[in-house]
Amino acid sequence: MPILSLANIGLTIQGHHILNGVSFDVEEGEVVGLIGPNGSGKTTLFNVLSGFLKPTEGSVTFREDDITHLIPSKRAQLGVGRVFQHFGIFREMTLEDNVRVALEAMPKELRNDMGTMEETVRATLEMATLLSHAKQKAGSLSGGQMRLLEIARTLKSGKELFLLDEPTAGVSPKMTHQVADIIGALKKEKKTVLIIEHDLPFIAQICDRVVVLDVGQVVLSGKPDEVKKSKELQEVYFGADPTT
Amino acid sequence: MQLLVNGLIAGSLAALIAGGLALVYGVLGVFNLALGQMVLFGGYVTWWLHQSVGLPLSLSIAGGIVFGGVLSLFVFEVFIRPFYKHHRFLPLVTTIALSMILDGVLLLLFEERPRSILPGLKNTVQILGAYISMVQVVMIVLTFLLLCFFAYVLHSTAFGRKIHAVVQNDHAAMSLGIRAPMMHTIIFVVSGVLAACGGIYIGIDTSLTPTLAFSLTIKAYAAIIAGGKGNFWGAIFCAYLIAFLEQIVVGVQWFGMFTVPAGYQQTVALFVIIVFLLFRPNGMFASASRRA
Repeated sequence: MPILSLANIGLTIQGHHILNGVSFDVEEGEVVGLIGPNGSGKTTLFNVLSGFLKPTEGSVTFREDDITHLIPSKRAQLGVGRVFQHFGIFREMTLEDNVRVALEAMPKELRNDMGTMEETVRATLEMATLLSHAKQKAGSLSGGQMRLLEIARTLKSGKELFLLDEPTAGVSPKMTHQVADIIGALKKEKKTVLIIEHDLPFIAQICDRVVVLDVGQVVLSGKPDEVKKSKELQEVYFGADPTT
Repeated sequence: MQLLVNGLIAGSLAALIAGGLALVYGVLGVFNLALGQMVLFGGYVTWWLHQSVGLPLSLSIAGGIVFGGVLSLFVFEVFIRPFYKHHRFLPLVTTIALSMILDGVLLLLFEERPRSILPGLKNTVQILGAYISMVQVVMIVLTFLLLCFFAYVLHSTAFGRKIHAVVQNDHAAMSLGIRAPMMHTIIFVVSGVLAACGGIYIGIDTSLTPTLAFSLTIKAYAAIIAGGKGNFWGAIFCAYLIAFLEQIVVGVQWFGMFTVPAGYQQTVALFVIIVFLLFRPNGMFASASRRA
């Protein structure tokens, strides 16, 4: 049984069809890359999955529950976590408080299962290799550090499905390895990850499967190596070859 | 010294109103131009319960505060929530319309003459040469305690952290499981309760007239613009600062030659707005979370 199921998702805004019948499943523990040119509907699809946009047709099922009409906070409490392209951290709060507020927002039954608040805050910052910055404001971190903090915070706050929107955007090459490591840690913990990324080698390195989106439709899906070699991918990014 | 005491009295009132408004601006980024009328409603309802219905003062104050909360919930659900997601300037228009409606209702229900919750002379005491009534002392202390309570809630509780999270990044807050729309409602109702407290303050200290609404709104906005839009403590600080400036402008004999007529006191807030918008549009303590 897939952990996430998208069935014929369509979204029309002011007469424009942004998403057209997007359907695919994601298995538990799978890392799936979502790629496609700018404007293909990737981030819009994430907004539909996390509840910030309501689809005009189709349904989203998470752990056998229809979550299509749930508000974002309710989806988060069920275990859907989102890491934003433009950093979903609270810049004026300390790193400690950034983690603490995420833990405090967890459903009570999950909170009861974790250790003490202070232990969990510490463990989260250790995971993000940011323990020495605990008392600093999050706004003082580099892009890569912000990303590590956001992913570790999402993991420790009990999320099962991770929607990572361009996790390497604004991150230095050195930090990109650390981001890849922390995504690897999610994989080891059998978390399910859906990741939007333009860095194709990065996608090939960490994903089990790749879904290619173009003009709001799924045009290709398969293992990274197969997708990389496919003619359709070239067409999506560079257009059809007029000589063929 | 008397100027300082007068500034403290006026500043406490302004701080109550501006503090709530700063929270609302910080979280929702919307303007509520019916704020002055909401302040007056809190005071008038307390006056009506105490003077017309004959309830004890404590019950009347509780009634005024509850009414302030209910009124702000109504205002939020009808005049703000349906509009602010489309464009955050739309509530500017809807609350202007609301302020006109409420002005009419205030005149209709309570007439134009001044209404005092506690009419008559009040006992005054002399502190370091300045005169202050016991009622004013109580109000200053209560405002201080209320602000201490807010400081505790905002900085030391899970609820306060959630408010900070929603103020700084409401999408991220929602994706962690924080119910941002509910926080929006709570914050607006809290601002309405603080506004009602301000109206009760005016009604007990001096008297209420429907024409006060506009100047109350302007003063509150001057404080949040000067304090850094959305910065709660910046707005509180600037509310006191503007109140002291108002007292100084009309209370000092300038260059030993002339005094500024009391009628010009209201212009200080407008002057502050213009100066800050021209030279420091992000205010004294700019908040990183919300910029206009």
